[in-house]
Amino acid sequence: MNDSFVTNGWPMFSTYTDSINKMIPEAKAIYELREVGDTPIDIEAESVHPVCQHLKTQFGFHVLEVITGCDYPDRIEVSYILANFTDNQEVILKTKLSRENPVVDSVSDIWSSANFQERECFDMLGVHFNNHPDPRRILCPDDWEGFPLRKDYKTQERYRHMIVNPESKMNIEDREFANKQKALEAKQKALEKTKADAMAEPKKVAEIVEDKKDDQGEKS
Amino acid sequence: MNENFSNQEKLKTDLLTINMGPQHPATHGVLRVEIKTDSEIVVQAIPHIGYLHRCFEKHAENLDYRGIIPFVDRMDYLAAMSMEWGYVLAVEKMLKTEIPLRAEYIRVLVCELQRIASHLMFFGTYLIDLGAFSPFLYAFQKREWILRLFEELSGARLLYNYIWIGGVWNDITDQQLKGIEKFCHEMDLEIAKYHKLVSGNSILINRLKNVGVMDQNLCFDYGLTGPILRAAGVKWDLRKNRPYSIYDKFNFEIPVGEGFKGTLGDCYDRYMVRMLEMEESLKIIRQCLEGIEAGDIQAKVAKNIKLPAGEIYSKSECPRGELGYHLISDGGKTPYRLKIKSSCFTHVSALPAVAAGQLIADFVATIGSIDIVLGEVDR
Repeated sequence: MNDSFVTNGWPMFSTYTDSINKMIPEAKAIYELREVGDTPIDIEAESVHPVCQHLKTQFGFHVLEVITGCDYPDRIEVSYILANFTDNQEVILKTKLSRENPVVDSVSDIWSSANFQERECFDMLGVHFNNHPDPRRILCPDDWEGFPLRKDYKTQERYRHMIVNPESKMNIEDREFANKQKALEAKQKALEKTKADAMAEPKKVAEIVEDKKDDQGEKS
Repeated sequence: MNENFSNQEKLKTDLLTINMGPQHPATHGVLRVEIKTDSEIVVQAIPHIGYLHRCFEKHAENLDYRGIIPFVDRMDYLAAMSMEWGYVLAVEKMLKTEIPLRAEYIRVLVCELQRIASHLMFFGTYLIDLGAFSPFLYAFQKREWILRLFEELSGARLLYNYIWIGGVWNDITDQQLKGIEKFCHEMDLEIAKYHKLVSGNSILINRLKNVGVMDQNLCFDYGLTGPILRAAGVKWDLRKNRPYSIYDKFNFEIPVGEGFKGTLGDCYDRYMVRMLEMEESLKIIRQCLEGIEAGDIQAKVAKNIKLPAGEIYSKSECPRGELGYHLISDGGKTPYRLKIKSSCFTHVSALPAVAAGQLIADFVATIGSIDIVLGEVDR
C-alpha cells in the first residue's frame, strides 16, 4: 500500500534534505511531516535545476512522473514528483513562485518527460520555464487568453469572432445552484467562526450534533 | 555556376509536411500529428493535442468529492472503472477509510474485467490499423459480454459511476459470478484462438518486429509506464511492486517483453505483453471468484465528505499505464486542486523520439502500439 511506502519513506526524507543542503546550500531544503497524505520537500525556486540533477545522479530518481502547479492567493506552488523504479522510492519536491512573475528553470534537459509537463503547467497556470525547448501552449489554442487553472480566471468573451460561452448553451440552473451552495458554505463558515470566537469548548458539542445529523440524513 | 550539374541535382528536395489527423482513423481519436516527410520516411513528428480538452481539473475544483467520480469516467472511456478506482483510492487514503472485503473483491473483479475489455479493444483496433479486419469482430464479441455485465451491475455500458467512495454502488449476484466463471473458461479458448490466428502469423510478425523500438532508457527518460515499460523488459507493475487494495493476496506473474520475435521493446513485444496480461488478469479473476465472501459492500462514510488539509499523490495501474492523482485539499468540501497524471499524455510525448527515421506505415503501427485514448490525453 502507499501508506506503508510513506512510513518506509519517512527516514529517507532527512537523508534527502541533508544531502541536498550539503551539496546545494542555497536550496534550503526542509520538510514537515504530515499526518495525512504525503510529505513534500520544500526547496528554493532558484535551485530547482541543480537539486533535480543531484537527486537523479545521487539517488537514482530516473523518472519524472508529473509536474503539478497550484495557484494560491499569494503564490504559485509547483510540485515535481520524482520516482525511482529500481529502489521503489518516490519524492515530492515543492517550490514557491511569486504570482506576478512565476519563473523557474526548466528541467527538460534532465528528463525529457518534463517537456510536455512544463508546457501544460505554462498553459494552465502561466508558469514560465527558462530554457524550455518548445515553450508553447499545449491544450488550449496558441492565441488563447489567460490561464484557466488560476483561481481568478475569467473566460474571455470572444475567441476569433466566436462567443465562448453563449447564453443559449449555458446551464443557468446549475450555475445558480452552485452559487447558492457557495453562499451557504460561506454563511456556515462565518457562523462557525463566530461560534468559535464566542466559546471554545461548546463548539465541539455543536460539531458532534452536526455529524449526527449527517449520519441520520444518510440513513433516511 | 557549375555547368556540370545534372538535372537531378537541380530538383527541389524540400521536406513535405503532412497532417495525420485529427480525423485520421489510425490515430484512435482526435490526435493530430504533423509529420515532415522525406519521400516515405518520417523526419520529424510533432503531436498536436487538445481537441478534446474539457479541463476536468477546473471542474473538479467546483464539485464535491462524490460528484467528481462521473467526471473521471469520461477521461479514459475504455477503462472507466480503473479511472474511478484510482480517484477513489486517493480520497480513501486521505480519509483513512477501511473498505469491506467484499467491496475490495468486487473492485478487483470489475477492474480486471475492464483490463481485459480494454486490451481486447486494443487487439481489435490495432489489427485494423495493420490491415486485418476479422480479429476485430472476434474481439468485440467478447468485449460485448463484459460490457453487458457492467450494464447489469451499474446501468451503463461505458461510463459507470460504479465504484464509490467507501465501496461500490451495487452488489454482484451469485448468478453473475457464475457467469464470469463461464466467461473465464471461454476466454481461455478465445485467447488461444487469437494466438493461433494472429500472434504466430508471419505477416504480422514481419510487420511488427524491430519496428518502433522503445528501450528501457527511453522509457525512463520519458516516464513511460504500463505495458510499454514492461515490453522494454522492466518488471514494474504497481499491482506487484506497490500493491494497493488486496492485490498482495493474489498469485500472478508480470509478463515482460523478451524480444519475442525481434528487438526488445519493439511493437511486437508491446502487442504480446498485452495479450499475456489478459491471461494474468484471468488468473486474478479466478482467484477472486474463489475468495469472494458475503458481506457489506459499502463502508460508513460521512454524508458531507470533508478531507483533512494536506496533499496526496496516489497511483494505480490502469490498462494503459500508471494513473496518478495529485490531490491537494484545504479542508473544504471540494478539492483545492486535483492534478491528474495521465499515462497517455506522457506516452504521446515520446512519439517524436521514436518517429524519426521510420516509414510512414511503420509510424502508424507505432501509434497503434502505444494504445492511447485521446480522452485521457486531453482530459
